[in-house]
Amino acid sequence: MTSPSHSPRLSRSAYLRIALASLAAGLFKAFNANKTSWIGLAVFLIVALLALLAPVIAPYDPLDQNILNRLKPPSAAHWLGTDYYGRDTLSRILWGARISLTIGLMAIGSAMVIGTLIGMIAGYFGGRTDLLIMQVMDVLLAFPSLILGLIVVAMLGPSVANLVIAIALTAIPPFSRIARAPTIAVKNREFIEAGHALGYSHPRLMFGHILPNIAPEVLVMGSLWLATAIRVEASLAFIGLGVNPPTATWGGMIREGFENILDSFWLALFPSLAILIVVFSLNLLGDGLRDAVDPRLKGEQ
Amino acid sequence: MTAFILKRLGFAAITLFAVLTIVFFIVRVLPGDPALAILGDQASQAALEALRVRLGLDVPLYQQYVAFLGGVLVGDWGISMVSGRPVIEEIIKVLPATLELTIASLILGVVVGIPIGVWSAVRRNKLPDYLARIGSLLGLSFPAFVSAVLLLLFFSIQLRWFPVISSGQGGSLADRLRDLALPAINLGLIMAAYITRVTRSAMLEVLNQDYVRTAHAKGLVFAVIVWRHCLRNALIPVVTVVGLYLGILIGNSVLTEIVFNRPGLGKLIVGALNQRDYTMLQGMMVIYTLIVVLVNLVTDLTYGLIDPRIKYA
Amino acid sequence: MKARMGIALAGLLVAGNAFAAGTTLNVGMGSADAGKLDPHVATSTPDKGLLHWMFSGLVRIKPGEASPEFIEPDIAKSWTTSDDGLTWTFSLRDDVECHGDYGKIDAEDVVYSLKRSANPEVSAFAKDYTAFDSIEATGPLEVTIKLKNTVPSLLGLLVPYHGGNIVCKDAVEALGEEYQRTPIGTGPFMFAEYQPQQYVKLVANPEYYRGEPKIKEIYYRYIPSDSSRDLAFQAGEIDMIYGKQEQTWVERIQKVPGTKVTVMKPGEMSVIHLNMTMPPLDDVRVRRAVAHAINRDAMVQFKGPDVTLAALSPVPEGHLGFTADVPTYEYSIDKAKALLAEAGHPDGVTIKAIHTTLPGMLSTMEAVQALLREAGITLEIETVEHATFHEQIRKDMSQVTHYAAARFPVADVYLSQFFHSDATVGTETAIANFSHCAVADAEIAAARVETDPAKQLALWATAQQKIMDEVCAVPVVQSMQLWAWKDTLDLGVTVNGSLNLSPPVTEQAAFSE
Repeated sequence: MTSPSHSPRLSRSAYLRIALASLAAGLFKAFNANKTSWIGLAVFLIVALLALLAPVIAPYDPLDQNILNRLKPPSAAHWLGTDYYGRDTLSRILWGARISLTIGLMAIGSAMVIGTLIGMIAGYFGGRTDLLIMQVMDVLLAFPSLILGLIVVAMLGPSVANLVIAIALTAIPPFSRIARAPTIAVKNREFIEAGHALGYSHPRLMFGHILPNIAPEVLVMGSLWLATAIRVEASLAFIGLGVNPPTATWGGMIREGFENILDSFWLALFPSLAILIVVFSLNLLGDGLRDAVDPRLKGEQ
Repeated sequence: MTAFILKRLGFAAITLFAVLTIVFFIVRVLPGDPALAILGDQASQAALEALRVRLGLDVPLYQQYVAFLGGVLVGDWGISMVSGRPVIEEIIKVLPATLELTIASLILGVVVGIPIGVWSAVRRNKLPDYLARIGSLLGLSFPAFVSAVLLLLFFSIQLRWFPVISSGQGGSLADRLRDLALPAINLGLIMAAYITRVTRSAMLEVLNQDYVRTAHAKGLVFAVIVWRHCLRNALIPVVTVVGLYLGILIGNSVLTEIVFNRPGLGKLIVGALNQRDYTMLQGMMVIYTLIVVLVNLVTDLTYGLIDPRIKYA
Repeated sequence: MKARMGIALAGLLVAGNAFAAGTTLNVGMGSADAGKLDPHVATSTPDKGLLHWMFSGLVRIKPGEASPEFIEPDIAKSWTTSDDGLTWTFSLRDDVECHGDYGKIDAEDVVYSLKRSANPEVSAFAKDYTAFDSIEATGPLEVTIKLKNTVPSLLGLLVPYHGGNIVCKDAVEALGEEYQRTPIGTGPFMFAEYQPQQYVKLVANPEYYRGEPKIKEIYYRYIPSDSSRDLAFQAGEIDMIYGKQEQTWVERIQKVPGTKVTVMKPGEMSVIHLNMTMPPLDDVRVRRAVAHAINRDAMVQFKGPDVTLAALSPVPEGHLGFTADVPTYEYSIDKAKALLAEAGHPDGVTIKAIHTTLPGMLSTMEAVQALLREAGITLEIETVEHATFHEQIRKDMSQVTHYAAARFPVADVYLSQFFHSDATVGTETAIANFSHCAVADAEIAAARVETDPAKQLALWATAQQKIMDEVCAVPVVQSMQLWAWKDTLDLGVTVNGSLNLSPPVTEQAAFSE
């Protein structure tokens, strides 16, 4: 597994350009071939737009309490009803989208990049490197997310950024394991052996040949974990790593709604549906992406 | 193979040591005082100090650490600071309930998830595929504690099929199964949702590989190709996900345990965390690390069973 | 022969009826597991509620009441007091048996138990007994307590609550460390079994000196999820349920057929303590502005008018020594804003609170946050997990501290723990004076040793007035204890309150029908 000294080298930026160009071309091709991915993208963009426009379109101030008008079911005045404090649920969902989407995307995005890189390195080099890296991952994995969350809050204090760190930390080991397994499977295949014979460098083999092969699983995993990330936010709120009140987040709303689930089930239902919509759109989008980055998969038309 | 396992177990010991060391120091750095948690808000400073001495929290940190490691080596995990019962005893009392629930939901997840995932991949972009995908996304987005309450409302209150309080230690097998049913369904369906997604995506990839097309061209029955050849190759990512999820499940099933009133490790660890029960937290992390290490090892060995090309170094 | 058959048949019928009426009581408690079961260490509501049914005191508060005015004999059948109020002599019943094989209670057990309560090494309540000079057995069934100075309610320290629970000496000595897991008392029910995260099982004490209880078994089940506990009650799996302190709970649980809901004293009073050493709260005008901005009527509406009382004085209503005659700050946004402007904050102020994530307390604080917002007072709530909250507020880290607590219903307890400078957080003698209040030290101390009841009441009233004038804290609401049980369960007493926060299940309790 030593790379010959005369291996042809490309600059880092050249790699990036090639990768981006092929990704963009693939994306477009796949998107044209797969209508559902357009739907996914459209829905996600609408949700993102609604979140951005929350200050303009939210019918009420999301923090305005009206104690005499609380726990009311959906009505003409409050489309999604009011919560425990008489706040408008629709307005809180719109405002909450900003925080929840940020937390979910940032946490899972960073965990996906870091975790995949770690997993690929471990799987590709194997041997001691593999053992060492996976050992560190095992240590991380051994901490339930609640404990890991508590450790983060104890050391850094509660804030949106720290919430992102806590969730990302719990998601890095799974991504590394997801990336490692197919890397091991792929690296023994003929075309990688051939690459070695041709004197390709490790980064070239890893990013140019292995990454496209393992990306589908990683991307699918990413779209799955995004849902988990938004939900983890709710359970972390239980141990004090929540976003501070009265700021609205979807996870926080579900948790609050759960307190009154027997009286006003819609309080937990609507933010859950909001999460469902986002997860659904991202999954449709993820499928499209998968087709785009997988060289062997062609559209079925 | 044996060498591989031995090596892995050796590394497991290192992992265990690292986790324990981290936990030991972290719990003591955390804000929150076990003495205050135990004695409550009316306790005087003097009473708090006295309790700290009794709990051995007044001696230098390194001495506590050495004593703790020594204890672990001889299998003494200490006494719970809160309840005064031996840590190991408390863990062993609730461990069966946790394992039972985990295994039941794993089986449910595999039995439901894999066939649906395969079916969904074979019928890609047809109605069954869409239904399967919507179903699995529902399972993924719905918080476990919300679905748990819905299950209780429907099956325990409306139909009266299952008890609300599932003790997890009924006398007869029938009792135990009745207790287990709803929590296992709740966790199992989430598990199935994950497995469906991963199976579908792995199958799609395999179905498009050349040898499948070749086999198909050769006239092999499609069902045989799918079930005998493709699934086998698609199983690696599935096994990875199952392994990962198992570890997470055991630590994070606390919400399901709470809503269904089952005893379990999840409740124990959250309780220990709330009470800052250092000894209990340490013991919990030992057991938790052991489970995760074991699950990972089994996962890695399973890769070899599925795909003989994978070598263990 | 026929007659004998008749008797046998009647016997069967009686047995059948007894079975129908039931002798097993299932109780649903809102916590995940048992904590400490040693009565001299147990401080949590779930633990105290359970021990309530297992222990006796020298005296007791009549079952169903929570105020010391209802004190009646328990282990002691009578007592006498010296003229100076410093020497108390109790004569004991001779028929009080300890649970299990630990024999009869005598003066020595009582002395041992009270000394144990006064020992900070083993008791969480030692400071309650600092006025005790000596506790002696002056006869086989006679105990004499000598005090260094008079205390507001000596008998209150001897009821089966906290340190007043009488433990059996032989049991404590024989069991050692095991005692905290196997509590032995002299009450109507005795400890039988513990299943982690499931239940504690109690059984009837056949030797109980007021007669064997009609209920034979109690399962005290730990069901932490409010929703599941309610569903279990609805499904008939539990007979008695610990409620959520909310109007919505009362309204919903009342709809379950055959349910009796009980609202009990003592209330837990929610108080917003304002740290008088941290700007801008060091200015009394700002503190008064806060008081004006909190709309108590809205808060009572919010928490539920049937289960909540507005709180006006720093001592909860119903406590001995409470007065309503204190400076009050009517709800007025204009006055609040004017006071802020006068204090040099025309654009409002920002104050910070470290707060627990416990939902019941957090919801109160979020409602207060919204009320203050209208007056231009920005209350930033930094939520931390409960254990962290307790540690940090004790370390004087929070500018605003919201605290909800129920205490022994004598003014001295609340005043000493929350408003006497000795209890100031961050000091050696800290308890729960989060505001650094010191304006009424003299009155609180004087009232503690005052022997004339009228003068004592006057001193307590002055203390409350001074504290409210300075606005060391803003009392908000008092939330009552809520329980419900099946109406087939007759406790045999009228339940208005319970010091230990659980309904009195005594030898009289039984299922009807």
